[in-house]
Amino acid sequence: MKRRAFLISAGGVAAGMVLLPRMSFAAEGKIDWYTSSDTNILDFWTNVVAPKFEAANPGLSINLIDAGDGAGQDAIADRALAALQTKTDPQADYFETADPMSPKGAMEAGLYVNLKDSLSNWSKVNPLAVETDFAVPYRGSQVLLAYDTTKLPAADVPKTWADLVTWIKANPGQFIYNRPDKGGSGGNFVRRAIHEANGRDPSLFTLDNFTPEYAEKTLAPAWEILNDIAPSLFDNGAYTSGNTQSVQLLGQSAVTMIPAWSDQALQGISTGVLPETTGLVQLTDLAFSGGFSRGVVLANGANKDAAIKLADFVLTEEIQSAIIVELGGFPGVSWDNVAEDLRNKYKDIVPSTIPTFPGGDWGAAISDGWYRSVAPNVDRNS
Amino acid sequence: MTARPVSGVQSSRGLTGLLLVAVPVLLFAWMTIWPILSGLARALTPEQADGSRPVSFANFVTFFSDPYSLANLGITLWTCLVTLGLLLAICIPLALYLRFAQGRLATYVQTMAMFPMFVPSIILAFAFIRVLGPNGTVDLLLNAVGLPKIRSPYLTPWGPVIGLVWDNIPLTVLILVSGLGAVSNQAVEAARDVGAKPLALFWHIILPRMWTSVAVVVSFTMLGLFASFTLPYVLGPASPEMMGPFMQRTFRDLRNPEMALTQATVTMLFCIAFGLFYVRAVARNRES
Repeated sequence: MKRRAFLISAGGVAAGMVLLPRMSFAAEGKIDWYTSSDTNILDFWTNVVAPKFEAANPGLSINLIDAGDGAGQDAIADRALAALQTKTDPQADYFETADPMSPKGAMEAGLYVNLKDSLSNWSKVNPLAVETDFAVPYRGSQVLLAYDTTKLPAADVPKTWADLVTWIKANPGQFIYNRPDKGGSGGNFVRRAIHEANGRDPSLFTLDNFTPEYAEKTLAPAWEILNDIAPSLFDNGAYTSGNTQSVQLLGQSAVTMIPAWSDQALQGISTGVLPETTGLVQLTDLAFSGGFSRGVVLANGANKDAAIKLADFVLTEEIQSAIIVELGGFPGVSWDNVAEDLRNKYKDIVPSTIPTFPGGDWGAAISDGWYRSVAPNVDRNS
Repeated sequence: MTARPVSGVQSSRGLTGLLLVAVPVLLFAWMTIWPILSGLARALTPEQADGSRPVSFANFVTFFSDPYSLANLGITLWTCLVTLGLLLAICIPLALYLRFAQGRLATYVQTMAMFPMFVPSIILAFAFIRVLGPNGTVDLLLNAVGLPKIRSPYLTPWGPVIGLVWDNIPLTVLILVSGLGAVSNQAVEAARDVGAKPLALFWHIILPRMWTSVAVVVSFTMLGLFASFTLPYVLGPASPEMMGPFMQRTFRDLRNPEMALTQATVTMLFCIAFGLFYVRAVARNRES
């Protein structure tokens, strides 16, 4: 009888637990920090940035919160914007990486602090990485090809886009990239195809030159390139739903090659998620796009001043060096502001430029275009 | 006959009751009804280039004339119906077993059946890739005995179906078992005494008393399946997508809240149908 009674009450208890109200208020000196990045970034902040910052700033601490994904953090940003209008506490001070253009009108409404005017370290920032004065580029990363050296010797690895396409077609089922909106590794693979279709000239795409007609003209040839390789992809044209899932398929030896974030691949190899035999290569004709992660400080946060201190702190040599060493990322500051030994050690493997692709309306156009023009065009059962 | 002194007490009790029920009702109105109405209003008043918002069905016309959106709606319905069918096929026998079985084995079975309730779906999704994905555990086991690999359901429409069935087993079993509480042991024993075979027993004694809980299961799980997000997102194909991921992508990546609300409204209309089904089933149960 006990068992049955449990069975009936368990449902009620489970439902009740979900509904328990949770109330919280911003605490003094505790920076409410949110990230939408992958776990490796949260680990980096938990183990490196937060302890160093708290040691350097007695009385201040960071409340690290994983917003899950971009949508989770957008919801926090929407809430903060609403709080700005009602002059209440947004319970958020700092976003590890965010686009100050979002939510719509937030930057104009004064939701984000002008960091150029507020940070003493702003002058160290790599000017190529700056998009606006409201977000501080503090770490960069680049997409590379990660491959299984036991199946593909390093000497035979494709080094140009044309070679890569030839290789994919010659080895059907051995390559997969993720949906462009679900993670930057697939997203920048798609953007590399767009660059390829437009004379490998990243300067053709800027934040301001977006028009639907121009996008149609420049993106359509890229969809042709991607449709051309689709039948040769894993499972006759499957696309994973995130960076991590692609890494998992490479780790399970289900595919031979994937596009991957440099930091995620390096960390995957060091933690054993990817085997030691994983090779990394960058295309030489034009590198895959990379991107900078830009932190923002909320102007209406209860700990705004502490959060500005934090934004300044991530630009210090100590943290910037840790980004290179611990995270496998690129610094957000110019290379002159990185420890000299690191500068010398990495000068040969870190490219002098990281092609970037603008966000804004381009992101939406690429996502919609890809889903409508590339994703459905394959009969998976054939 | 004396006057009825209890009437004062009764009305104050009625007031207390109303106050008690007011909290959930207000919460429901605020957190559910209001967002629905405001969403509906926005979907029905598309913003024009000049910023005005006349009432029009333009968003819905766009949705229903777009083959891509319709394909997504279609895969959502397909996934829900297939998942529901599999769930009932698995959970009715399981619930019957748990209702009538005694002993230690039943305890283990019950623990197993309840286990998915305590596994977050994102963990389930990645475990699925490990086990049923390409070169996963199943492939390794098959390979060990010299059998060919399976055609992995990962990134096909069957991926979310398998994940959702597993994820929904506990709730379905709980509802069905509680429904089976209405079947008295005496009724079953009496039927057995007059020589009823198991199938006749099930058909004439148990099933008539189970209908309500089956109806509750159908409506509850359909609502849950329509709203499912994580499993279709991680395990499903890139296209067609289920409505959950599709809405989220329209809202966030395409930055088109109006169209996302239109998709949500269409989804809600289907859910309302199952909601009404649930209300009717419960109301009929009350009457009987």
